[in-house]
Amino acid sequence: MNEVIFRRIIGCLGIATGLLPGADDGWAYAPVQNPDLPTVRNTQWAREDLDRFVLAGIEEGGYSPSEVAEKRTLVRRAYLDLHGLPPSIEQISSFLNDERDDAWERLVDDLLESPRYGERWGRHWLDVARYSDTNGMDEDIAHPSAWRYRDYVIGSFNEDQPFDRFIVEQLAGDLLPAKDLADRRAKTVGLGFLSVGPKMLACDDPDKMRRDIVDEQMDTMGRAFLGMTIGCARCHDHKIDPISIEDYYGLAGIFMSTKTLTKYSVVAEFHEHDLTEEGDQKKWAEVNRLEAVKSKKETPKEEKSRLGQEIAELKKGLPEPFKVMGVTEYPAQNVQVHLRGDYLTLGEEVPRGVPSAWTKGKSVAMPGAQSGRLELARWITSGENPLTSRVIVNRLWRWHFGRGIVPTPDNFGGLGELPTHPELLDHLARKFVESGWSVKAMHRLMMNSATYRQSARADLALLEYDPENKLFARWQRRRVEAEVVRDSILLKSKRLDLTMGGSMLVAQSSKYVDRGQLHAHSLVPRRTVYLPVYRSSGYDGQKAFDAADPAVSDGNRRTSTVAGQALYLMNSELVHESSKALANFVMSQETEERASWLIEHLLGREATEEECLRCEAFVSGYGDEVEAWAAFSRVLFSSNEFLYVE
Amino acid sequence: MLQRSGTGFGALALQALLAREARGGIQAPPLPGTAKRVIFLFMHGGPSTVDLFDPKPLLSRDNGKPFPLESPRITSHKSENLLLQSPWSCRQHGQSGAQVCDLLPKIAAIADDLCFVKSMHCSNSRHGGALLELHTGSDTFTRPSMGSWINYGLGSENDNLPGFITINPSGSHGGAGAWSSAFLPAKFSGTRISGEGASMKVPFIDNPLHDQTKQRKELDLLASFNREHLAQRGADSELESRIASYELAFKMQMEVPGVQDISNEPEHIKKLYGADVDPTKSFGEQCLMARRFSEAGVRFVQVTHRYWDSHGNLKRDHEKLSAEMDKPVAGLISDLKQRGLLDETLVLWGGEFGRTPTAQGKDGRDHNPHGFTMFMAGGGIKAGTVYGSTDDYGYYAEDQPVHFHDLHATILHLMGIDHLEFTYRYAGRDFRLTDVAGKVVSDIIA
Repeated sequence: MNEVIFRRIIGCLGIATGLLPGADDGWAYAPVQNPDLPTVRNTQWAREDLDRFVLAGIEEGGYSPSEVAEKRTLVRRAYLDLHGLPPSIEQISSFLNDERDDAWERLVDDLLESPRYGERWGRHWLDVARYSDTNGMDEDIAHPSAWRYRDYVIGSFNEDQPFDRFIVEQLAGDLLPAKDLADRRAKTVGLGFLSVGPKMLACDDPDKMRRDIVDEQMDTMGRAFLGMTIGCARCHDHKIDPISIEDYYGLAGIFMSTKTLTKYSVVAEFHEHDLTEEGDQKKWAEVNRLEAVKSKKETPKEEKSRLGQEIAELKKGLPEPFKVMGVTEYPAQNVQVHLRGDYLTLGEEVPRGVPSAWTKGKSVAMPGAQSGRLELARWITSGENPLTSRVIVNRLWRWHFGRGIVPTPDNFGGLGELPTHPELLDHLARKFVESGWSVKAMHRLMMNSATYRQSARADLALLEYDPENKLFARWQRRRVEAEVVRDSILLKSKRLDLTMGGSMLVAQSSKYVDRGQLHAHSLVPRRTVYLPVYRSSGYDGQKAFDAADPAVSDGNRRTSTVAGQALYLMNSELVHESSKALANFVMSQETEERASWLIEHLLGREATEEECLRCEAFVSGYGDEVEAWAAFSRVLFSSNEFLYVE
Repeated sequence: MLQRSGTGFGALALQALLAREARGGIQAPPLPGTAKRVIFLFMHGGPSTVDLFDPKPLLSRDNGKPFPLESPRITSHKSENLLLQSPWSCRQHGQSGAQVCDLLPKIAAIADDLCFVKSMHCSNSRHGGALLELHTGSDTFTRPSMGSWINYGLGSENDNLPGFITINPSGSHGGAGAWSSAFLPAKFSGTRISGEGASMKVPFIDNPLHDQTKQRKELDLLASFNREHLAQRGADSELESRIASYELAFKMQMEVPGVQDISNEPEHIKKLYGADVDPTKSFGEQCLMARRFSEAGVRFVQVTHRYWDSHGNLKRDHEKLSAEMDKPVAGLISDLKQRGLLDETLVLWGGEFGRTPTAQGKDGRDHNPHGFTMFMAGGGIKAGTVYGSTDDYGYYAEDQPVHFHDLHATILHLMGIDHLEFTYRYAGRDFRLTDVAGKVVSDIIA
């Protein structure tokens, strides 16, 4: 074994060479249990079964849960959590005035019915899917039809598409039967998941390029659905998690039998499904043929103008082609083990398959004439696999509570962290599968719980004992995400354009994107989820607030506090334009109500008298009144109260 | 469980580093390093170092003949592999006798301050791949850039400035990947300054109102709201640091434009960099700006000069590019030296690869990742050194080859960081800038 390869193995192992799989490392692969509800001392607190698991942990530490949060706090929390937008004064008072016992449950139900919900929670999934409208990496080529995948994700959340089906469509939608073209389109758009990843597109070695793409797809799939890192086994048996080099190449065979690019030479091109109506497809073929003739140098001038007319005629009323970025099938092939990860030194051929350690030795039958993606997807979502349901409910929990039951949502393996509440995780995983993989059912369970409704104001002793909130004995106060910062400012200045879907990207397939457009995009007052994602260059304001890096799958965004965020709020064009717009609304209020209205409008609570006085003093000492209100709006946009979910 | 929480020998360093990250402020390197800061002069496109620094008599003798050694398995373009002699001459300079092309008289004149590594090589034959390999150590996956790693390791020397600034970087061939923090915390990401002359700005550094008194009033009011909010909630370090972040931003806003502003530099300094006249004006201004940032405590400053990709028109384009680049680079190094800053500032010059000794067309060269030259100055590097060599035609690194991984290991070493112990755990693995490779090139360290 040469030294570099040896070191690569040690390197994958972690520098901490003392690490070896311990007795508790296999927990994620054990079947999902049906744990009994634990006995708790406080029998009044729990609202949902899940609360009993949380409470048992809190009581074990000798503590009590925190008080239930005020209604005003809760309604703002619910809107920000489910819609990523703060509530209006009217929305708040409508909840405050609802004195029915189930007012909260009704609120949650209502919020789940709004299309704003899918935009918010779809964005969470897009982080995991490392969604981008451009390739990034070495060649920043446009993904002009990737937006269909983004819209599909948003739509799937809004329609509460069963998550098992959502997974199958993302891995193998093209292999599902479809009854007509509309159905075929619906089942194909999810395939963007495998295609939108970052790729080295100008690689002089097409074999390396193909294998790197396969590796990236397997790695993302492994993390997203199984909480597994698969990549290590490319060169050697995984030292921590149960996947051998043979397993890797068995799985790789499935992806090597899957076509992602149509051209592997420099600069490579993506495969797109053309799902245009058949008649229209013919017309487009004719248009393209005529365009080609027209653009030829030797075509005489008169002929060119005649062709131009003919093309215009053909295009009249002709819908744009329906293209979908996504993978398709190659002839099925098994691959040989690449010794030490090197495709120039090949070992034994391995039949395509699902790693046997995952299936407890049972083999998953692979079709002779297909890649096996569908069989893999079916196994991932089958009852025999305990990983997927655990991984997904843990993701949902993480996005609601700010911390996963398994604190490393993308890694359930030996190098991830152990669950703080393993029984709670299994309880939820079971409920999830029983609900028919309904994400909305999980939202209701989690949000209707007493755990969710706790206040962030906790007992000092508890804060000292559990600073990371591993016990979930309080609400974890936290800053809203990058998109929420921008969307909230646009909404509150009444500029937010709620148009859904479609693409703002101006680019042709497999052509370079124009990064010069980024600034203009950033000023379009649509929800941030609809701004084109340029992998080679994010939006400065979004990056400052820790927007997900679209080059890597990330289900656990970090929250930093840096001066760049302050600079954005103090100086950016978007914030200044918005504060000016809001100032005009302030001016339309009665003079004496301006301060109190603005405070309530932005912070969702009544202003104190002292605050109003301070504000009026600020305004009168500032100069121009409209400018003063704009300045005051910026102050509140920048305030912790505006930026934190309590 | 102790093992699970990561107490391998790498983790100790990690903890020490994290502690520093949490502490902030001016931080001492973990080992006595000689370099405190890096200025990387990146020559985007791949300068033809076989012409600029690595003359080969056999290349002239065998001009037009087929390259007699084995050609690489993978090449960027197909060619007949006919050797092309250099259109220019090199001469030996200084005590070291380093070869420098006549196109670069100013660099030649400071040859004894430089250390030439003539046996650089990397793995990727395309701009994007090689550029990312140079900046991040990986041409396959998204990894933190070296500037981010260094900032993560050493923290900031000046809290009022970003720790990693990249001036006028390339948006293509890796784009933000070249200055991204990837899985490291976002605060270690590079701050990009793009544009020309006075329009080159740190994002959002200018207040649109241009009225600091008014903005001060806003920030005071904000602080009063935030302090009350905090008082009602009890201690919360995150809320407190956000309050502090506005004061920091305000200070940055005051300090950055001043640091960046080269207009008050004396004429003789501007002249030294060629920042006064074309064709050196634009790059000269950027090099001068780099010195000002570095001097003010920015750990890692990168300046990009482009575009050295001479597949054709080698003669015309390399003459033009050399004329733009020579004086600013030599000016920067001389200026650092005369200010006593060169000892603690590592200057690195080079492209993502070099160019082939074989011809592409009649007047061009293809990408060559197999053997090329980079040079360094200051920061504890051995001045007046020529290290390593290529084969008789200048195609492959032959004697004492230095891979980008080795370059990274050496840079970290000079900054007092052991590249083997400097890790960050992400997705279940401890990552290093040097991945699983890298050897410190101790022969070039003073």
